[in-house]
Amino acid sequence: MKTLLINGSPKKKRSVSGFFLDMESLFIGGERKKETLRNKSDHERILTKLDDTDNVVFCLPLYVDGVPSHVLYFMKDMEAYCREKNIHVNIYVISNGGFIEGRQNAWLMQVFENFCKRSDNTWCGGIGIGGGVMLNVMRILLVVYAGILLLNIVINGVAEGNWLPVEAFQNFGQQAFMTLFFSCGVIFYELLMAGSIRKGKVFGVRFTRAMMPSFLFILVADIFFVITSIFQGGIFRGWLSKKE
Amino acid sequence: MHLIIHDMGPEYDEYFKGKADKIISANGKYAPCQGCFGCWTKHPAECFMKDTLYTVCRDVGRSDILTIITENCYGAYSPQVKNILDRSIGDSTPFSTYRGKQMHHTLRYGMGERIEVFAYGDFTDDEEKTFTEMVQRNAYNFGYREGRFTRLETKEDIL
Repeated sequence: MKTLLINGSPKKKRSVSGFFLDMESLFIGGERKKETLRNKSDHERILTKLDDTDNVVFCLPLYVDGVPSHVLYFMKDMEAYCREKNIHVNIYVISNGGFIEGRQNAWLMQVFENFCKRSDNTWCGGIGIGGGVMLNVMRILLVVYAGILLLNIVINGVAEGNWLPVEAFQNFGQQAFMTLFFSCGVIFYELLMAGSIRKGKVFGVRFTRAMMPSFLFILVADIFFVITSIFQGGIFRGWLSKKE
Repeated sequence: MHLIIHDMGPEYDEYFKGKADKIISANGKYAPCQGCFGCWTKHPAECFMKDTLYTVCRDVGRSDILTIITENCYGAYSPQVKNILDRSIGDSTPFSTYRGKQMHHTLRYGMGERIEVFAYGDFTDDEEKTFTEMVQRNAYNFGYREGRFTRLETKEDIL
Protein backbone atom coordinates (compact mmCIF):
# COMPACT_ATOMS: atom_id res chain seq x y z
CA MET A 1 0.00 0.00 0.00
CA LYS A 2 1.40 3.37 -1.03
CA THR A 3 0.11 6.48 0.69
CA LEU A 4 0.35 10.10 -0.38
CA LEU A 5 -0.03 12.54 2.52
CA ILE A 6 -1.02 16.09 1.56
CA ASN A 7 -0.60 18.94 4.02
CA GLY A 8 -3.21 21.54 3.01
CA SER A 9 -2.13 24.26 5.42
CA PRO A 10 -1.04 27.52 3.79
CA LYS A 11 1.47 28.06 6.61
CA LYS A 12 5.16 27.54 5.87
CA LYS A 13 6.09 26.03 9.23
CA ARG A 14 4.72 24.77 12.55
CA SER A 15 1.22 24.29 11.16
CA VAL A 16 -1.39 22.29 13.06
CA SER A 17 -2.12 20.25 9.91
CA GLY A 18 1.58 19.42 9.52
CA PHE A 19 1.67 18.19 13.12
CA PHE A 20 -1.39 15.94 12.76
CA LEU A 21 -0.17 14.66 9.38
CA ASP A 22 3.28 13.79 10.77
CA MET A 23 1.58 11.84 13.56
CA GLU A 24 -0.63 9.97 11.07
CA SER A 25 2.38 9.25 8.86
CA LEU A 26 4.16 7.72 11.86
CA PHE A 27 1.19 5.45 12.61
CA ILE A 28 0.63 4.34 8.99
CA GLY A 29 4.14 3.10 8.28
CA GLY A 30 4.91 1.51 4.91
CA GLU A 31 5.65 3.46 1.75
CA ARG A 32 4.65 7.11 2.19
CA LYS A 33 5.20 10.40 0.43
CA LYS A 34 4.50 13.78 2.00
CA GLU A 35 3.54 16.86 -0.01
CA THR A 36 2.68 20.43 0.91
CA LEU A 37 -0.18 22.15 -0.88
CA ARG A 38 0.06 25.92 -0.45
CA ASN A 39 -0.78 27.36 -3.87
CA LYS A 40 -1.36 26.56 -7.53
CA SER A 41 2.35 26.06 -8.25
CA ASP A 42 2.16 22.89 -6.13
CA HIS A 43 -0.64 21.27 -8.17
CA GLU A 44 1.31 19.64 -10.98
CA ARG A 45 3.96 18.20 -8.68
CA ILE A 46 1.36 16.63 -6.37
CA LEU A 47 -0.92 15.39 -9.17
CA THR A 48 1.88 13.36 -10.79
CA LYS A 49 2.33 11.55 -7.45
CA LEU A 50 -1.25 10.24 -7.81
CA ASP A 51 -0.12 7.96 -10.68
CA ASP A 52 1.56 5.66 -8.21
CA THR A 53 -0.46 5.68 -5.00
CA ASP A 54 -3.29 3.72 -3.36
CA ASN A 55 -4.32 6.10 -0.59
CA VAL A 56 -4.42 9.87 -0.30
CA VAL A 57 -4.63 11.52 3.13
CA PHE A 58 -5.54 15.21 3.15
CA CYS A 59 -4.83 17.12 6.34
CA LEU A 60 -6.15 20.68 6.29
CA PRO A 61 -7.54 23.50 8.41
CA LEU A 62 -11.25 24.33 8.56
CA TYR A 63 -11.88 27.76 7.00
CA VAL A 64 -15.35 29.33 7.36
CA ASP A 65 -17.13 25.98 7.84
CA GLY A 66 -15.52 24.48 4.77
CA VAL A 67 -12.49 23.69 2.65
CA PRO A 68 -9.94 26.53 2.24
CA SER A 69 -10.09 28.08 -1.24
CA HIS A 70 -6.57 27.02 -2.26
CA VAL A 71 -7.51 23.37 -1.57
CA LEU A 72 -10.78 23.74 -3.54
CA TYR A 73 -8.72 24.87 -6.56
CA PHE A 74 -6.59 21.73 -6.17
CA MET A 75 -9.63 19.44 -5.84
CA LYS A 76 -10.99 20.71 -9.15
CA ASP A 77 -7.64 20.00 -10.85
CA MET A 78 -7.44 16.60 -9.14
CA GLU A 79 -10.91 15.67 -10.38
CA ALA A 80 -9.88 16.47 -13.96
CA TYR A 81 -6.55 14.62 -13.57
CA CYS A 82 -8.17 11.48 -12.11
CA ARG A 83 -10.72 11.37 -14.92
CA GLU A 84 -8.07 11.90 -17.61
CA LYS A 85 -5.71 9.24 -16.23
CA ASN A 86 -8.44 6.90 -14.97
CA ILE A 87 -7.06 7.05 -11.43
CA HIS A 88 -9.01 5.65 -8.47
CA VAL A 89 -7.61 6.12 -4.97
CA ASN A 90 -8.86 5.84 -1.39
CA ILE A 91 -9.32 9.27 0.16
CA TYR A 92 -9.03 10.06 3.88
CA VAL A 93 -9.26 13.49 5.50
CA ILE A 94 -8.05 14.98 8.78
CA SER A 95 -9.45 18.45 9.33
CA ASN A 96 -8.88 20.72 12.28
CA GLY A 97 -10.86 23.73 13.36
CA GLY A 98 -10.07 26.45 15.87
CA PHE A 99 -13.41 25.94 17.60
CA ILE A 100 -13.64 23.29 20.29
CA GLU A 101 -16.42 21.21 18.71
CA GLY A 102 -15.01 18.65 16.28
CA ARG A 103 -18.49 18.38 14.73
CA GLN A 104 -18.04 21.80 13.14
CA ASN A 105 -15.93 19.93 10.55
CA ALA A 106 -18.96 17.88 9.39
CA TRP A 107 -19.67 20.03 6.33
CA LEU A 108 -16.05 19.96 5.19
CA MET A 109 -16.30 16.16 5.31
CA GLN A 110 -19.48 16.27 3.21
CA VAL A 111 -17.71 18.39 0.60
CA PHE A 112 -14.92 15.80 0.35
CA GLU A 113 -17.48 13.01 0.08
CA ASN A 114 -19.18 14.87 -2.79
CA PHE A 115 -15.77 15.40 -4.40
CA CYS A 116 -15.02 11.66 -4.25
CA LYS A 117 -18.31 10.86 -6.01
CA ARG A 118 -17.56 13.41 -8.74
CA SER A 119 -13.98 12.26 -9.27
CA ASP A 120 -14.80 8.53 -8.98
CA ASN A 121 -12.49 8.02 -6.02
CA THR A 122 -13.38 6.09 -2.86
CA TRP A 123 -14.47 8.15 0.12
CA CYS A 124 -13.03 6.42 3.19
CA GLY A 125 -13.91 9.04 5.80
CA GLY A 126 -11.92 11.19 8.15
CA ILE A 127 -11.38 12.80 11.52
CA GLY A 128 -12.82 16.21 12.40
CA ILE A 129 -10.78 17.77 15.20
CA GLY A 130 -11.87 20.66 17.43
CA GLY A 131 -9.37 22.91 19.21
CA GLY A 132 -6.47 21.75 17.06
CA VAL A 133 -4.55 25.02 17.48
CA MET A 134 -4.35 24.49 21.22
CA LEU A 135 -2.92 20.97 20.82
CA ASN A 136 -0.31 22.34 18.43
CA VAL A 137 0.66 25.09 20.90
CA MET A 138 0.94 22.48 23.68
CA ARG A 139 3.29 20.26 21.68
CA ILE A 140 5.47 23.29 20.83
CA LEU A 141 5.50 24.22 24.54
CA LEU A 142 6.48 20.64 25.36
CA VAL A 143 9.67 21.12 23.32
CA VAL A 144 10.34 24.32 25.31
CA TYR A 145 9.79 22.41 28.58
CA ALA A 146 12.19 19.71 27.36
CA GLY A 147 14.78 22.44 26.83
CA ILE A 148 14.15 23.78 30.34
CA LEU A 149 14.55 20.24 31.73
CA LEU A 150 17.91 19.86 29.99
CA LEU A 151 19.02 23.24 31.31
CA ASN A 152 17.98 22.22 34.83
CA ILE A 153 19.95 18.99 34.57
CA VAL A 154 23.10 20.82 33.45
CA ILE A 155 22.80 23.62 36.07
CA ASN A 156 22.07 21.21 38.93
CA GLY A 157 24.78 18.82 37.75
CA VAL A 158 27.49 21.46 37.46
CA ALA A 159 26.53 23.49 40.56
CA GLU A 160 25.53 20.73 42.98
CA GLY A 161 26.69 17.51 41.37
CA ASN A 162 23.07 16.36 41.13
CA TRP A 163 22.55 15.08 37.59
CA LEU A 164 19.07 13.74 38.38
CA PRO A 165 16.99 16.72 39.60
CA VAL A 166 13.75 14.94 40.56
CA GLU A 167 11.64 18.12 40.74
CA ALA A 168 12.60 19.16 37.21
CA PHE A 169 11.71 15.70 35.89
CA GLN A 170 8.37 15.84 37.77
CA ASN A 171 7.53 19.22 36.21
CA PHE A 172 8.33 17.97 32.73
CA GLY A 173 6.38 14.75 33.37
CA GLN A 174 3.31 16.80 34.38
CA GLN A 175 3.48 18.86 31.18
CA ALA A 176 3.95 15.75 29.04
CA PHE A 177 1.00 14.04 30.75
CA MET A 178 -1.25 17.08 30.23
CA THR A 179 -0.31 17.29 26.54
CA LEU A 180 -1.01 13.58 26.09
CA PHE A 181 -4.29 13.83 28.00
CA PHE A 182 -5.63 16.79 25.99
CA SER A 183 -4.54 15.06 22.74
CA CYS A 184 -5.71 11.53 23.59
CA GLY A 185 -8.84 11.70 21.38
CA VAL A 186 -6.77 12.74 18.36
CA ILE A 187 -4.10 10.10 19.01
CA PHE A 188 -6.75 7.37 19.43
CA TYR A 189 -8.60 8.18 16.20
CA GLU A 190 -5.40 8.71 14.21
CA LEU A 191 -4.27 5.23 15.32
CA LEU A 192 -7.62 3.76 14.27
CA MET A 193 -7.52 5.55 10.92
CA ALA A 194 -3.95 4.37 10.30
CA GLY A 195 -5.20 0.79 10.72
CA SER A 196 -7.91 1.40 8.11
CA ILE A 197 -5.41 3.02 5.72
CA ARG A 198 -3.01 0.08 6.00
CA LYS A 199 -5.85 -2.29 5.06
CA GLY A 200 -7.33 0.08 2.46
CA LYS A 201 -10.64 0.01 4.32
CA VAL A 202 -13.36 2.56 4.96
CA PHE A 203 -12.82 4.38 8.27
CA GLY A 204 -16.01 6.44 8.48
CA VAL A 205 -16.31 9.99 9.81
CA ARG A 206 -15.36 10.56 13.46
CA PHE A 207 -15.12 13.72 15.51
CA THR A 208 -12.89 14.53 18.44
CA ARG A 209 -11.49 17.57 20.25
CA ALA A 210 -8.98 18.90 22.73
CA MET A 211 -10.09 17.12 25.90
CA MET A 212 -11.37 20.00 28.01
CA PRO A 213 -14.77 21.60 28.68
CA SER A 214 -15.73 24.22 26.09
CA PHE A 215 -16.15 27.09 28.61
CA LEU A 216 -12.59 26.49 29.81
CA PHE A 217 -11.31 26.25 26.23
CA ILE A 218 -12.95 29.60 25.40
CA LEU A 219 -11.29 31.18 28.44
CA VAL A 220 -7.87 29.80 27.49
CA ALA A 221 -8.34 30.87 23.83
CA ASP A 222 -9.35 34.40 24.88
CA ILE A 223 -6.30 34.75 27.15
CA PHE A 224 -4.08 33.40 24.34
CA PHE A 225 -5.41 35.97 21.86
CA VAL A 226 -5.13 38.88 24.34
CA ILE A 227 -1.48 38.05 25.03
CA THR A 228 -0.76 37.58 21.29
CA SER A 229 -2.51 40.88 20.49
CA ILE A 230 -0.49 42.74 23.11
CA PHE A 231 2.77 41.41 21.63
CA GLN A 232 1.70 42.02 18.02
CA GLY A 233 0.16 45.41 18.75
CA GLY A 234 -3.37 44.68 17.52
CA ILE A 235 -4.91 45.49 20.88
CA PHE A 236 -3.75 49.10 20.46
CA ARG A 237 -4.30 49.45 16.71
CA GLY A 238 -7.77 48.02 16.41
CA TRP A 239 -9.24 47.21 19.79
CA LEU A 240 -8.67 50.38 21.75
CA SER A 241 -8.58 52.77 18.77
CA LYS A 242 -11.50 53.95 16.65
CA LYS A 243 -13.17 51.08 14.76
CA GLU A 244 -12.75 51.24 10.99
CA MET B 1 -25.68 47.96 3.67
CA HIS B 2 -26.34 45.41 0.93
CA LEU B 3 -23.29 43.59 -0.48
CA ILE B 4 -23.30 41.34 -3.54
CA ILE B 5 -20.46 38.90 -4.22
CA HIS B 6 -20.63 37.03 -7.52
CA ASP B 7 -18.40 34.89 -9.71
CA MET B 8 -20.45 35.23 -12.92
CA GLY B 9 -17.80 37.22 -14.72
CA PRO B 10 -17.06 40.94 -15.21
CA GLU B 11 -19.68 41.16 -17.98
CA TYR B 12 -22.37 40.89 -15.29
CA ASP B 13 -21.03 43.75 -13.12
CA GLU B 14 -23.09 46.26 -15.07
CA TYR B 15 -26.29 44.29 -14.42
CA PHE B 16 -25.75 44.30 -10.63
CA LYS B 17 -24.88 48.00 -10.51
CA GLY B 18 -27.53 49.87 -8.54
CA LYS B 19 -28.97 46.69 -7.04
CA ALA B 20 -26.70 46.85 -3.97
CA ASP B 21 -24.46 49.31 -2.13
CA LYS B 22 -21.35 47.41 -3.16
CA ILE B 23 -20.59 44.71 -5.75
CA ILE B 24 -17.56 42.44 -5.51
CA SER B 25 -16.67 40.45 -8.59
CA ALA B 26 -14.97 37.20 -7.52
CA ASN B 27 -12.41 36.95 -10.31
CA GLY B 28 -9.77 34.96 -8.41
CA LYS B 29 -7.11 37.64 -8.91
CA TYR B 30 -6.17 37.75 -5.24
CA ALA B 31 -4.22 35.64 -2.78
CA PRO B 32 -5.74 32.94 -0.58
CA CYS B 33 -5.87 33.42 3.20
CA GLN B 34 -2.59 32.49 4.88
CA GLY B 35 -4.18 31.68 8.26
CA CYS B 36 -1.90 34.09 10.15
CA PHE B 37 -4.68 35.64 12.33
CA GLY B 38 -3.03 39.04 11.73
CA CYS B 39 -6.48 40.50 10.90
CA TRP B 40 -7.33 39.76 14.56
CA THR B 41 -4.14 40.22 16.50
CA LYS B 42 -1.80 42.50 14.56
CA HIS B 43 -3.84 44.94 12.44
CA PRO B 44 -7.52 44.22 13.18
CA ALA B 45 -9.91 44.23 10.19
CA GLU B 46 -7.02 44.52 7.71
CA CYS B 47 -5.13 41.82 5.82
CA PHE B 48 -1.35 41.95 5.55
CA MET B 49 -1.69 41.14 1.83
CA LYS B 50 -2.34 44.46 0.11
CA ASP B 51 -4.45 43.23 -2.79
CA THR B 52 -8.11 43.95 -3.65
CA LEU B 53 -9.29 41.99 -0.59
CA TYR B 54 -7.14 44.05 1.79
CA THR B 55 -10.17 45.32 3.78
CA VAL B 56 -12.94 43.10 2.41
CA CYS B 57 -13.80 41.91 5.93
CA ARG B 58 -15.12 45.42 6.71
CA ASP B 59 -17.56 45.23 3.77
CA VAL B 60 -18.77 41.78 4.83
CA GLY B 61 -18.99 42.82 8.48
CA ARG B 62 -20.99 45.96 7.72
CA SER B 63 -23.44 44.31 5.34
CA ASP B 64 -26.95 43.76 6.69
CA ILE B 65 -27.75 41.70 3.63
CA LEU B 66 -25.05 39.62 1.98
CA THR B 67 -26.03 38.15 -1.39
CA ILE B 68 -23.70 35.57 -2.92
CA ILE B 69 -24.06 34.20 -6.44
CA THR B 70 -21.67 31.31 -6.97
CA GLU B 71 -21.01 28.27 -9.07
CA ASN B 72 -21.50 25.01 -7.18
CA CYS B 73 -18.27 23.26 -6.26
CA TYR B 74 -18.97 19.91 -4.53
CA GLY B 75 -21.79 21.45 -2.48
CA ALA B 76 -19.77 24.53 -1.59
CA TYR B 77 -18.82 27.94 -2.98
CA SER B 78 -16.57 28.22 -6.00
CA PRO B 79 -12.89 28.67 -5.01
CA GLN B 80 -13.03 32.29 -6.21
CA VAL B 81 -15.94 33.12 -3.87
CA LYS B 82 -14.63 30.96 -0.99
CA ASN B 83 -11.35 32.87 -1.21
CA ILE B 84 -13.23 36.10 -0.42
CA LEU B 85 -15.07 34.51 2.53
CA ASP B 86 -11.80 33.04 3.86
CA ARG B 87 -10.25 36.53 3.76
CA SER B 88 -13.27 38.00 5.63
CA ILE B 89 -12.74 36.53 9.09
CA GLY B 90 -11.53 39.92 10.31
CA ASP B 91 -15.23 40.85 10.50
CA SER B 92 -15.13 39.10 13.86
CA THR B 93 -12.83 39.49 16.85
CA PRO B 94 -10.57 36.74 18.18
CA PHE B 95 -12.81 36.43 21.25
CA SER B 96 -15.26 33.57 21.40
CA THR B 97 -18.88 33.15 22.40
CA TYR B 98 -21.75 30.71 21.90
CA ARG B 99 -24.11 31.10 18.93
CA GLY B 100 -26.46 28.30 17.93
CA LYS B 101 -25.18 26.33 20.98
CA GLN B 102 -21.67 26.20 19.51
CA MET B 103 -18.48 28.17 19.85
CA HIS B 104 -18.08 31.08 17.42
CA HIS B 105 -16.18 34.36 17.37
CA THR B 106 -17.78 37.55 18.66
CA LEU B 107 -18.74 39.98 15.92
CA ARG B 108 -16.78 43.16 15.33
CA TYR B 109 -19.63 44.89 13.48
CA GLY B 110 -22.71 43.29 15.06
CA MET B 111 -25.45 41.06 13.65
CA GLY B 112 -26.68 41.28 10.05
CA GLU B 113 -30.14 40.55 8.69
CA ARG B 114 -29.51 37.70 6.25
CA ILE B 115 -27.11 35.89 3.99
CA GLU B 116 -28.68 34.80 0.74
CA VAL B 117 -26.88 32.37 -1.55
CA PHE B 118 -27.80 31.56 -5.15
CA ALA B 119 -25.81 28.66 -6.61
CA TYR B 120 -25.75 27.62 -10.26
CA GLY B 121 -24.14 24.83 -12.24
CA ASP B 122 -24.34 21.05 -12.19
CA PHE B 123 -25.74 19.71 -8.87
CA THR B 124 -26.22 16.30 -7.28
CA ASP B 125 -28.86 15.88 -4.56
CA ASP B 126 -26.11 15.38 -1.95
CA GLU B 127 -24.41 18.59 -3.02
CA GLU B 128 -27.66 20.53 -2.72
CA LYS B 129 -28.16 19.16 0.81
CA THR B 130 -24.57 20.02 1.78
CA PHE B 131 -24.87 23.54 0.40
CA THR B 132 -28.22 24.21 2.08
CA GLU B 133 -26.79 23.20 5.47
CA MET B 134 -23.54 25.06 4.84
CA VAL B 135 -25.38 28.35 4.30
CA GLN B 136 -27.10 27.94 7.69
CA ARG B 137 -23.68 27.33 9.25
CA ASN B 138 -22.29 30.44 7.55
CA ALA B 139 -25.22 32.49 8.87
CA TYR B 140 -24.25 31.53 12.44
CA ASN B 141 -20.56 32.04 11.78
CA PHE B 142 -20.81 35.44 10.09
CA GLY B 143 -23.60 36.58 12.42
CA TYR B 144 -26.67 36.78 10.18
CA ARG B 145 -30.11 36.18 11.63
CA GLU B 146 -31.15 34.17 8.60
CA GLY B 147 -29.50 32.05 5.91
CA ARG B 148 -31.27 31.33 2.61
CA PHE B 149 -30.14 29.01 -0.14
CA THR B 150 -31.54 28.85 -3.68
CA ARG B 151 -30.40 26.48 -6.42
CA LEU B 152 -30.44 27.96 -9.91
CA GLU B 153 -30.69 25.85 -13.04
CA THR B 154 -28.53 28.31 -14.98
CA LYS B 155 -26.73 31.43 -13.86
CA GLU B 156 -28.95 33.54 -16.11
CA ASP B 157 -31.87 32.64 -13.78
CA ILE B 158 -30.60 35.31 -11.39
CA LEU B 159 -31.16 38.03 -13.98
